[in-house]
Amino acid sequence: MIKIKILITLPIILLAFISCQEKLPLDKDLTKKTYQLINQDSANVTFPEVIKGHITVMGFIYTHCPDICPLTTNNMYLTEKKLKEQGIDDVKFVELSFDPDRDIPSVLKEFANIRGISFKNWMLLTGEKSIVEDLCKRFDVRAIKTDEEFNENGEPSYSMMHTDRISLIDENGILRKNYKGSTLNFDEIIKDIKTLKD
Amino acid sequence: MKILLFLLLILFPPQDNIKIKDAWVRPSSEKMSSALYFTIENTGESADTLFKVDSDIAEKVEIHETYTEGEMMGMRKVDFIAIPGKNSFKLKPGAHHVMLMKLKKDIKDGNEVKFVLYFRRAGEISITAKAKQPN
Repeated sequence: MIKIKILITLPIILLAFISCQEKLPLDKDLTKKTYQLINQDSANVTFPEVIKGHITVMGFIYTHCPDICPLTTNNMYLTEKKLKEQGIDDVKFVELSFDPDRDIPSVLKEFANIRGISFKNWMLLTGEKSIVEDLCKRFDVRAIKTDEEFNENGEPSYSMMHTDRISLIDENGILRKNYKGSTLNFDEIIKDIKTLKD
Repeated sequence: MKILLFLLLILFPPQDNIKIKDAWVRPSSEKMSSALYFTIENTGESADTLFKVDSDIAEKVEIHETYTEGEMMGMRKVDFIAIPGKNSFKLKPGAHHVMLMKLKKDIKDGNEVKFVLYFRRAGEISITAKAKQPN
């Protein structure tokens, strides 16, 4: 009788497991390598240690972007707001700038402040160019300078063509899913976050 | 000269077939970038063209479009936006927008910012856009 029960139960558990895996297609362990970065307060942080133990929504931006990256940031902000409305207040929100030359900590802080972002659950990261580029590669995020020109004071001005990306990382530091940052489907990411929490 | 201009205005008055609706601008900080969005309604029979936007708010103001190449997104300058007669055109996030580069001061939520839009037929149209975050 017990054997029959096991024979019936096991496929159900397996099916549930497979179905769960389909919902969150990625399984990339980010903990195999660490990255020394700087947050908006100029404090040193080690990624991904800094997010371990928390489900994390991570966006990739540059603050001089007028259209796409503000959409990504706003979509993360609205995700946080919608999660809070459903009683979920322990998800971390991290943004990594792929333009570290211009996105120094004070710039990142101002970028967040003017958008009403609270640093309780948020962190904006920058760092040495080579480290940032290495971390972006880990997420398959690309960013290329375009239209670079200099004003009369020799200050550079440029746009960036870049991957439009928000990533979902589980509490063990495993990358589980990528989304289009500027056109994020809130229902989808909230459902995925709930799947990770279950 | 003034009489000539007066006569030209009488003979060829600027058309008021262009209406600007729902203008808003994204909050951002001094020295950073922002974007202006609005809807152009052309109620006339003929097409018109938006070819320039001016404002004191930024060092540089340009008409741009956002484009996608695979998973990558970028922006590029466009010379004009044509609006066929009896049609409308929406400048919106992730598409055409007016890019404001190197802001001269902060644009905070609720602030009002003035712009002048230049159309081939309708001439100059002054607008005020309110700063807000999209919901």
